[in-house]
Amino acid sequence: MNIGEVLNHTSPALFLPDLQATDKQGILTELVEGLISGTDIHNADTIMAMLQSRENLGSTAVGPGIAFPHGRTLAVQKLTILMARSAAGVDFDSEDGDPTHLFFVLIAPPQDRDHRYIKSLAALIDRAQDADLRTKLMEAEDYDAFCAAMREE
Amino acid sequence: MHPQLQLLVALQDMEEMIREVEEKGDELEGMGFKHGGLEDLRKAREDVASQVDPRHMSWYRRLTGKFGHAVVPVVNNLCTGCFNNIPSSFVSKTNVNKVQKCESCGRILYWP
Repeated sequence: MNIGEVLNHTSPALFLPDLQATDKQGILTELVEGLISGTDIHNADTIMAMLQSRENLGSTAVGPGIAFPHGRTLAVQKLTILMARSAAGVDFDSEDGDPTHLFFVLIAPPQDRDHRYIKSLAALIDRAQDADLRTKLMEAEDYDAFCAAMREE
Repeated sequence: MHPQLQLLVALQDMEEMIREVEEKGDELEGMGFKHGGLEDLRKAREDVASQVDPRHMSWYRRLTGKFGHAVVPVVNNLCTGCFNNIPSSFVSKTNVNKVQKCESCGRILYWP
């Protein structure tokens, strides 16, 4: 799966360029609020419970300065991707202990049986290995610039 | 949402997560994800299950065994398990405090 296909599952309404929270719980709350306000998804509690379970399983902050909170839940009807950024960075329990600045949230319905969201996750993680890209994402002025940087190879 | 339905949805989501680690764990770990909390997640699942009314739990287990997923979303007034029409009376105020089952297939219904 290429990045262009992955980005088909997000939208300008699912871009949070300036997260304000200063801890992991606050960031998760902001991310879920962003999902609710940017889509027709309603059940915030269900999504929050799923994301918290996933973080308890093991932190999703696996990239350098990047986290990929993800999972399946009945609360969504299709793969939905939210992209977010924190200028200050937060402690998201990353293995290297460094603050996390970039967040890619992938939420899929249970019936995503071809594991489309895992393929999307793999494509995003692979793309995020590029240090220059991470700099561009932190500096991108808006959603279009953010996506344009993601599409550059 | 009915508190029992909220528990059943949380339970099914947790079981989906556990199944994913069991089936795709190697692939996910290859991406860098760790699953050290798997046993804790299994315990959390049991904790949620213990809060579900035994009658609902019995339905849930029987339906999961039969269909794979006991709880299914209702989309466009259709049960997405069997695609039979769900009467609009199911979402009336009279029924909002019940755990609803599809009259056709018996799956537990969830309005996302």
